[in-house]
Amino acid sequence: MIYIIDHNDSFTYNVVHQFSLYDEVECDNYNAINESKLKKASVIIFSPGPGNPKNYPSSSKIYKKFKGKKKIIGICLGFQQILFCEGAKIVEQKKIYHGFQSNIQVVNNKSLFKKGKKFKVGRYHSLKLKEPFKIRNFEITMRCLESKAAMAFENNKDKIYGFQFHPESFLTINGNLLIKKILSA
Amino acid sequence: MDIRKLAIESQISQINDLKETYLKVLEQESKTPNLKFGLGELPLSEQKSNTYEYELLNNLINVKIPRQKNINFPKGIFYKPEKIINLSNNLKYKCTKNLRNSDFKININKNAYTKIFDKFKKKIKSGETYQIKICTKYKTKSKIDPLDFFTRLSKTNLAPEAFMIKDKNYSIISCSPENLINKKGSEISTKPIAGTVKKTKSLNKIKALNYFKKNIKETKEHNMIVDMERNDLSRVCKVGSVKLSKQKIVEEYKDLFHYVSLIKGKLKKNIKNIDIIKAMMPGGSVIGCPKINTLNLLNKQEKENRNIYTGSFGYIKFNGDMRFNIIIRSILNFKNFSEISVASGVVVDSNSSHEFNENFIKAKALIDLFK
Repeated sequence: MIYIIDHNDSFTYNVVHQFSLYDEVECDNYNAINESKLKKASVIIFSPGPGNPKNYPSSSKIYKKFKGKKKIIGICLGFQQILFCEGAKIVEQKKIYHGFQSNIQVVNNKSLFKKGKKFKVGRYHSLKLKEPFKIRNFEITMRCLESKAAMAFENNKDKIYGFQFHPESFLTINGNLLIKKILSA
Repeated sequence: MDIRKLAIESQISQINDLKETYLKVLEQESKTPNLKFGLGELPLSEQKSNTYEYELLNNLINVKIPRQKNINFPKGIFYKPEKIINLSNNLKYKCTKNLRNSDFKININKNAYTKIFDKFKKKIKSGETYQIKICTKYKTKSKIDPLDFFTRLSKTNLAPEAFMIKDKNYSIISCSPENLINKKGSEISTKPIAGTVKKTKSLNKIKALNYFKKNIKETKEHNMIVDMERNDLSRVCKVGSVKLSKQKIVEEYKDLFHYVSLIKGKLKKNIKNIDIIKAMMPGGSVIGCPKINTLNLLNKQEKENRNIYTGSFGYIKFNGDMRFNIIIRSILNFKNFSEISVASGVVVDSNSSHEFNENFIKAKALIDLFK
């Protein structure tokens, strides 16, 4: 079972539908976490959402508790949430991408995806990862072709994955394939 | 033309009471005191026609509105239609008494608007909202004949979701173009509008489409609304059934071109109409995104109740089918005061002076009716 933690976003149910194509999904608000569902889940997903990772201490707590024990995936705010828990700084960016379609590329040969492969993806983020960023086992695997901002990370040892873009957006081409590959990793 | 009133919730203030009453009204079809006159688009006989005001829709999804300036207009109104009339596209009506007054006052001046705008822009930069719609209101004291207004409005702007209500102490005249919920059996669709351009001699449909495609701001706003409406439908629809059936097309109206998308889905089993209303209302295109956080930001900022504006009007048939619009481009006349509300979006690359003027243009079409 996949447990999606909703950070009050208006895109969370797109995420729910996307993951439901591959497994049973449960979804609760970050304010109303069900401990038994959390325990039962094989995958935990941190949803997109407004604001800054520091606004969601309960999600950080869940991450730290289950890191390395369950597969964890973060999308948009969820991506930032995981990196924030790992000590990274999440900062405002000059150009803001809301409802924006960007070309991104796989930039790392430790990725599950083939290095050099390009994707068209939908973006909704005000904040971004501050770089340089170096944490053991975490690899930035995709970047925006234009701004070079980090668009995905993978930690294949602990099975932790994050997308700064929205694989569930209608602006992302072949978003389902990305999810399928991460889920079967 | 006699329509019976099912219930008017005017004295309800407690949220829980409100919900209960609301649910009761949805499920109950008896008790019908008299009502003078009501008119909407009513293609079939067995249906109720409802208006949900903005505050009620907030309360339904547990968003609280702080104390605001309030004219105490009812939060929700339910009618039971008795007679169906077909309206021709060419309405003729001779008005006898009208005490119009076109001396409208705006509730937020340009300076105040710019301040609010800049504040919200900061909220966008920090990620608290991605898009937010500031509402401004124009008001005047006047006595109007709603049928006269509706007739004249439909001559210049025959909108697909237009409606009119005339009751004892209030009337609503609306030329809303936007459908929020269209439910038939287990099929449901929504048709958000994000992007409007005025028709000119040189601007045809193809050129309008090019205009929208090249306009990055309009495109981004539209994309956001499409993903948001997909989300809201996904709350009540079967997995894999939510499809973008028309993506970013241009629809032509008498004076305007609209940039619209059509999103469809198949309802999950055991979904009630109240679940659909909670998932979809208030409509995302008139609030901003993401819904809950943006509503909270708006409600903290807006000092005056939105009343009907960005609420919904529509009908529920006894077989459960329903259709609801979003109440925009409308005049509310209550206790001899007329108000017209308009809103436009703050996104990161919008400009306050442009949006302020855009608001005025939207309101002007309705204000002109008072001349």
